[in-house]
Amino acid sequence: MNFFDKVFEQRSRQLAQRSSRRGLLKGLGALLVGGASIPLLPVARAAGNESPGRPLEEGDPSSCDYWRYCAIDGFLCDCCGGSANTCPPGTEMSPVTWIGTCHNPADGRNYVISYNDCCGKSSCGACLCMRDEGDRPVYRPDKTNDINWCLGTSSASYHCSTAIVVGVAFDD
Amino acid sequence: MARLILLPIFFWSALALGTVDDSGRVVFDYQMNCQGCHTPDGAGAGSVPAMKGHVGVFLQSQEGREYLVRVPGSATSALSDERLAAVLNWIMYEFAGDSLQSPFIPYTASEVAPLREKPLNEVDAYRERLLRAIAGADARE
Repeated sequence: MNFFDKVFEQRSRQLAQRSSRRGLLKGLGALLVGGASIPLLPVARAAGNESPGRPLEEGDPSSCDYWRYCAIDGFLCDCCGGSANTCPPGTEMSPVTWIGTCHNPADGRNYVISYNDCCGKSSCGACLCMRDEGDRPVYRPDKTNDINWCLGTSSASYHCSTAIVVGVAFDD
Repeated sequence: MARLILLPIFFWSALALGTVDDSGRVVFDYQMNCQGCHTPDGAGAGSVPAMKGHVGVFLQSQEGREYLVRVPGSATSALSDERLAAVLNWIMYEFAGDSLQSPFIPYTASEVAPLREKPLNEVDAYRERLLRAIAGADARE
C-alpha cells in the first residue's frame, strides 16, 4: 500500500508542477483551431483534375482537333514557341479577348475558353486552325473572331492565339 | 463556454471548406458577356475604361445609375432582365471597392427592364458629361 501511495503522490506532484490550470483550455483551443485550419492547407487543393473548375486533359495542343480550339480562328501558339496557355517569347498577350465555350470530350463538360491573342510580331504562319464554332457576324462584335483582338496591347500586329480555360460553362 | 468557442470555429471551417458556390451562374454571365473587353478583374485595357475601383462613382447620381443599364454592352446584351441585374450587382460588389460612397441598393429586373429599352447611341460624350456633373456635385459639397 505504501508503495502505491508513494507512486501516486509522486505522479500527482509532478503533474501539478508541470501543468498549469489553464493548460487543458490551451491544448483544447490549439486542437480546435488547428483542426479548423487543416482545410486551408495547400494539400487540399492539390487534388488536381478532381476539382470542379479544372478540366480533364487529353489530346494534342498542337493539333487543330484539340478540344479547346473549337472556336479558334488563327495560328496555334503551341506551334509558334508558346503553348495553349502562354505566348511565345517576344510577344505580348492581349488582355482584351474573345470568349466562347467548348465541350471537353474527356470529362463531358463545357468550359469557358478565353482566346487571348499574342501580339507584337508578324503572323506566326504555323498551324492555321479555323474551327469557328459559335462565331457570330461582326454586328455582334463581342462574339466575332473575325476582328483583330490585339486590343489593349502596345502593338496591334497579330502573331498567334492561345486558348485558356477560365471557368465552367452553364447550360442555358 | 465550450459552445461560445465552438460556434465561430464551426463557421470558420465552413468558410474554409467553401465548396458551395452559388455565384457560379453570375460569374459565367460576366465571363460570356463582359469579360472579353472588361478583363477578368474589371481593370480594363486600352480604350476599355476601368471598372475596378471606379464603377461605384456612377451610383452618385440617378442618371449615372441608369447609365450602367443603358450602356450598349448592358442594354443590348443577350441576358434576361434578371440575369443582367444580377451581373450589374455582382460587378458592384466585386469591382466598386472604395468608389462606392453610400450603401448600394441592388438593381432589380423590374428596374432594369424599362431602362434597357432606351440604349445609349453615343456613349463617350454622354459618359464624360455625366462624370463631369458628378465631379461638380462632389466639389460643391
